[in-house]
Amino acid sequence: MTERREFVCIGCPIGCPLQLTHEGTTIVEVEGHECGRGAKYARQEFVDPRRALSTTVAIRGARWIRLPVKVSRPVPKEKVLEVARLIHQLRVEAPVSVGQVLLRDLLGEPGVEVVATRSMPRLD
Amino acid sequence: MYDVAIVGGGVTGCSVARALSRYHLRTVLLEKQVEVGFGTTKTNSGIIHAGHQTPAGTLKGELEVRGNQMFDDLARELNFGFRRIGELVVALTESDLPVLEDLKRLGESRAVPGLEIWGREKLRREEPNLSTALVGALFAPTAGVINPYEFAFALVENAMENGLELKVDSPVLRIDTEAHGLTIHTPHERIQARFVVNAAGVWADRIASLVGLNDYAIHPRKGEEYMLDKRLKGLVKRLVFPVPQKTTKGTLIIPTFDGTLMVGPTAQDVDDRDDFATTHAGSDEVFGFVKKLCPSITERDCITEFAGLRAVSSTNDFIIGPTSVRGFINAAGMQSPGLTAAPAIAECVLDILGREGLELTSREDFVAHVAGPPRFALLSTEDQRRRIQGNPQFARIVCRCELVTEAEIHDAIDHGARTLDGIKFRSRAGMGRCQGGFCTSRCMDILARRLNLPIEKVTKRGGDSWVVRPMGDTAPREEGM
Amino acid sequence: MLGRLERRYDVVVVGGGPAGLGAALGAKEAGAESVLVLDREPEPGGILLQCIHSGFGLHYYKEELTGPEYAERFLTRVMEHDLDVVPDSYVSGVAIDSDGSKRVRVMHERQGLHTVECRSVVLAMGCRERTRGALRIPGTRPSGIFTAGLAQKFVNMMGYLPGRRVAILGSGDIGLIMARRLTLEGCEVMGVFEIMPYSNGLTRNVVQCLDDFGIPLHLSTTVVAIHGRDRVEKVTVAPVDRSLRVDMSRAWDVPCDTLLLSIGLIPENELSQGLGIMLDTITSGPRVSSTMETSMPGLFACGNVLHVHDLVDFVTRESLLAGRFAGEWARDIRRPRDNIRLAPGENVRYCVPHTLSPEREHTIYLRCKEPVKPCILRVGDLTEKKLRFVVPAEMIMMTLKPDALERFHGDTLRVDIVPSKSAGGDPGDEK
Repeated sequence: MTERREFVCIGCPIGCPLQLTHEGTTIVEVEGHECGRGAKYARQEFVDPRRALSTTVAIRGARWIRLPVKVSRPVPKEKVLEVARLIHQLRVEAPVSVGQVLLRDLLGEPGVEVVATRSMPRLD
Repeated sequence: MYDVAIVGGGVTGCSVARALSRYHLRTVLLEKQVEVGFGTTKTNSGIIHAGHQTPAGTLKGELEVRGNQMFDDLARELNFGFRRIGELVVALTESDLPVLEDLKRLGESRAVPGLEIWGREKLRREEPNLSTALVGALFAPTAGVINPYEFAFALVENAMENGLELKVDSPVLRIDTEAHGLTIHTPHERIQARFVVNAAGVWADRIASLVGLNDYAIHPRKGEEYMLDKRLKGLVKRLVFPVPQKTTKGTLIIPTFDGTLMVGPTAQDVDDRDDFATTHAGSDEVFGFVKKLCPSITERDCITEFAGLRAVSSTNDFIIGPTSVRGFINAAGMQSPGLTAAPAIAECVLDILGREGLELTSREDFVAHVAGPPRFALLSTEDQRRRIQGNPQFARIVCRCELVTEAEIHDAIDHGARTLDGIKFRSRAGMGRCQGGFCTSRCMDILARRLNLPIEKVTKRGGDSWVVRPMGDTAPREEGM
Repeated sequence: MLGRLERRYDVVVVGGGPAGLGAALGAKEAGAESVLVLDREPEPGGILLQCIHSGFGLHYYKEELTGPEYAERFLTRVMEHDLDVVPDSYVSGVAIDSDGSKRVRVMHERQGLHTVECRSVVLAMGCRERTRGALRIPGTRPSGIFTAGLAQKFVNMMGYLPGRRVAILGSGDIGLIMARRLTLEGCEVMGVFEIMPYSNGLTRNVVQCLDDFGIPLHLSTTVVAIHGRDRVEKVTVAPVDRSLRVDMSRAWDVPCDTLLLSIGLIPENELSQGLGIMLDTITSGPRVSSTMETSMPGLFACGNVLHVHDLVDFVTRESLLAGRFAGEWARDIRRPRDNIRLAPGENVRYCVPHTLSPEREHTIYLRCKEPVKPCILRVGDLTEKKLRFVVPAEMIMMTLKPDALERFHGDTLRVDIVPSKSAGGDPGDEK
């Protein structure tokens, strides 16, 4: 049985409306894109939609009480809020360097890490 | 047991408090909000009227001229800003001209000095940015402007210096009459006083009914005001009034003491004593009308707007006097020109108290002078340097738009500011173009430190006006917030 | 910490965000000996420090970075040079002497009122946010009304949330980004309300910030009243027609305790106005020549103070140029005067810089008035560029080579954006 999913491509400002036809988990066709990026995006969104995530964590001993962080690779879209809650449990002590890994193997995925996106020296 | 308890920390109550502080008396001022002046006073237009616009035969008219005369000395002693910028009642059409003549006569009968009728040419010369369609004006040189909250703060500060006890967050819930005086109940305590002065503004009739008096009612009349961008400073030099209407002096152009222009107020009778909402209708009315006075003023220059409630009494005049309840004195119904008349009202109340049996023995140690807040932005470079040398916090800018320094924020807190609005009204931080975008976080930091509060307990103006909440506080609020 | 505050410099840069830092780098690379950067915050980096999301550096670093990463990487590069970066300092004024030298008045906690003399100045003060007063939203004045940028600062740097239930007015990127940010922190975002019939932000942000979280986007809707005595209790919203007139008969209330305003940015030009510099009324920033020099000789401008940017990469590019010319100026190198005026034409809201000269390559920045796809960007009849899609929210950049300009003999060059037919006579034109 063919079903249809609709997406809006986020590859460029046009935002082509995309239609992806599939039978179960098999992609039949992608339509509506004006370039290759659209087709690729639709497939990814269908198979394994992922999102980049940045947030802040509590830090002590620095000028500010929040340290901005990001996840090194996009996480599954439906897990975004859960991942945020996990990250918010972190408590960090200054000093921290930009790129420093604060949490490894997020959600059990190797290579998916929480890293600091700036340095914060210790200011006691 | 106090000699006098004043209910209401607006400009009326603060004026009475200051007048009383010249004498050996135990006086207490009760204010229901978290700071004085947070009621009608802070929304007042700030005009010190010349006295020719109030109808003859009224108490308000009588006290207005006297009050106006007292402002020079007061401003000198209490160091608040006051400037006699003068006022023009303008004639939009030929048929308005006889009204100007009437006003001039009325004013002269009241000894209002310097009234002059200006013709078209003189008006154009003196105020070139006003509409060329205006046919003439009545000029009153003694009209002036103040910042009404600055005035209230200075009055109460001086009164406290001379012995006044100030109790904020103290709404009056009940008043019992006894043989020797009255007992006032607030949520925190009971206060006994021989005399009570009811200066409760919009709530004065409710306070009066607490002692069984129901001979007048307060009908709040809302006024919306619109502050304009600093860029228009100097566009108009004097207060500009249209020829007066029945219930209101009309929509005005008000060059405030700091020079920024304000337009308004509207006049709308409301039932809800908590109705401080500005409206589309109000702004349409104000900007629609002001265009006729000054075509360069449009809505696009508005940076903020607010509304206040005038305490209009059912007699349409001030209600100042003793009552059938011994010791209970009314100082109510202060609609325009309540601000102008305030010093004279205080004199009047003092007089009444004296006649009612209050002994008035002068304090020899009365300190008449108040230093006033240090306005760094207005100091000469030399004075700025001196200030910085004395206190490096003068070199830290908190409000970029109005050039307010950290030292001034601390000064505001030293003198009673407990809230962001309290800081704003004392120091001007937050009053400029960016409306607090830059300074809010800094002011909150300083308040939190000084008052020993977590930042989430810092409020905009007391009550439930919290600003931020801590992170990790994900519990949903109860319904009916 | 990052430098001292001396008495004399070749170049003084007002503002230590990406524009100021770019100008400082440009000035040093142009051979300026002494450069001073002044910033009013406790550390340089400007707005980037609070923009913790990614999307920065795709052009300049060929990598997608978060704001703080971009700031740190760039600052590290700047600090490889010998210059002074002084935070916690506030520029209260700039004066120009009759001989052209400049005096910058600085307020600094340790040094009090300090005057710095210099040869050239770069204005890089950034922009501020439009506030409620700009829209004159009627109603009460409770706490809980924030501009989106201020809310972002509270959340990302100070560690406080603006409220629990949030309504957002304005669907520009900052509003969309905050919708997501607040959701990640446990707030309930009631909706994003946008007065135009289209979102002002990138589609990517509408999808990732709103759709992903089920946050409704109400187009052609605006906030018509704010309610609440001490704190916001609700806002009234209503639809608008094509002329942006409100239809109060279809208004409805949105319960919330917080209203975020994402309604526009204005270049911060108080200093410029004080100097009497000529401003462009469309950008609200100074009019500049192709060397990024304002109408005041030796005073340059770049970044958001010149015109509001959307990509920091363009800011860096623009500011490196401004710094370079400011540095040259300090060394008494003067470029020939521009003799070509650039005029915004069809569907072009503005172009920066305002004038050009044929002796070198230029990069011009512009914005369209209306979205169009596909289209052609034409510079006089000298050159043109095919574009697939233009929207007002995305700045367009175009490079003009000297050989193209040399062919021009007039004094005003018009820039137009015109729709073009889709390529290849495709019968699917109505798509």
